Amino acid sequence: MRPVPRLHLISDRRRCPPERFPEVARDAVEAGVDAVHVRERDLSARDLLDFSGAVRLAIGDRALLFVNDRLDVALLSGADGVQLPETSFSPVDARALGDNRLMIGRSVHDIAGAKVASASGAHLLVAGHVYATESKAGEVARGLEFLREICRAVDIPVIAIGGITPERVAEVLAVGAHGVAVISGILSAADPGEAARAYRATLSNVIE
Amino acid sequence: VTDSPRSDLARTLADSLRLYVLTDRALARGRFEVDVARDAIAGGATAIQLRWKDGPLWEAMEIGRQLRTLCRQASVLFVVNDRVDLALALEADGVHLGEHDLPVREARRLVDDRMIIGFSPATLVEAVQAQRAGADYLGVGPIFATWTKHDAGVPVGTERIRDVTRSVGVPVVGIGGITAGNAGAVIEAGAAGVAVISAVVARDDVVAATRELRQAVDHARSTAAG
Repeated sequence: MRPVPRLHLISDRRRCPPERFPEVARDAVEAGVDAVHVRERDLSARDLLDFSGAVRLAIGDRALLFVNDRLDVALLSGADGVQLPETSFSPVDARALGDNRLMIGRSVHDIAGAKVASASGAHLLVAGHVYATESKAGEVARGLEFLREICRAVDIPVIAIGGITPERVAEVLAVGAHGVAVISGILSAADPGEAARAYRATLSNVIE
Repeated sequence: VTDSPRSDLARTLADSLRLYVLTDRALARGRFEVDVARDAIAGGATAIQLRWKDGPLWEAMEIGRQLRTLCRQASVLFVVNDRVDLALALEADGVHLGEHDLPVREARRLVDDRMIIGFSPATLVEAVQAQRAGADYLGVGPIFATWTKHDAGVPVGTERIRDVTRSVGVPVVGIGGITAGNAGAVIEAGAAGVAVISAVVARDDVVAATRELRQAVDHARSTAAG
């Protein structure tokens, strides 16, 4: 299995329509994004399969492709992984279904969830949301301390999500995060490729 | 030569589809899927489909595992609606797909010969295509007017059963507004069985409701055979 990616881009058709997303994802991957997540909860399975296939085609194997929740779509679209919301399959079930070929990500929102996910075979956690974000308007941001506790509680890579800007990457990694996941920070940017490059630059600075 | 689960199930599919009960939590008046299914099986249901429209997938897994056990013990066909991954995780006998779900051909790639695939075609052309793509049975409807599925569309009548069974070689199940009173007409038109939701799961006495339906189906089948 390939190493767990550090810079994750997550689709959101309210910010970037499915027709345009594959191209944006390709630019973002060229600029340093190493995982792209297809997360479109209200698309039919048929449309989701088409969309995932288009993203796979656009990014080739230069970045890992994750499909949110739908293991069947992940397997059929040649994705590298599945990102499981807490309401979805357990990592154990997902591993069995994915024949151990899929990288299993689990979204977590508290320490208990993180420990369970880690113990049941998730390869990575997406934890958040760390900062206030318009994607999760009305929900209280959980903050850096929350992220630090999650990172301490598990020994698998933790990806921070929620309101993360290039300027915040350093402090997020400082509390133990392996990487970051971004939605509007890239999709709502005037130049998504340029935005992705800024994230990658600060990630590389901190890691090296 | 070891037969696949699919070919084993396909051999007896026309019998397994005689009385096909679909779960629906909203219509079950507070009763759980497993309790309704247990009573339906006691009344003579030959197939149970887990329909999971809302709610977390982990709960569908819990309920599905119980249904799986129940159906296995009773030698009743266990089918999962919509999600191929859920059907695989539950080791269901089959998965049932509609026009917005994964295409039959793609689903077949995923399940191989581990399970049967059912499909609900909207037209005769779709019925033929679905069989070609690997569907093992077809659900045709709504035969009669129904309030269970608001988006079910205009009733197609038993004539559609006749048209579809003439055009495909796989068993056909009628669905939509079917009761003990009109089930016979669906069978006489060529259906292997009938699929019901509210006629069983919304009833006070699920066992009795299922038994009445099963008697109507069996009677029409024996008349058709004789």
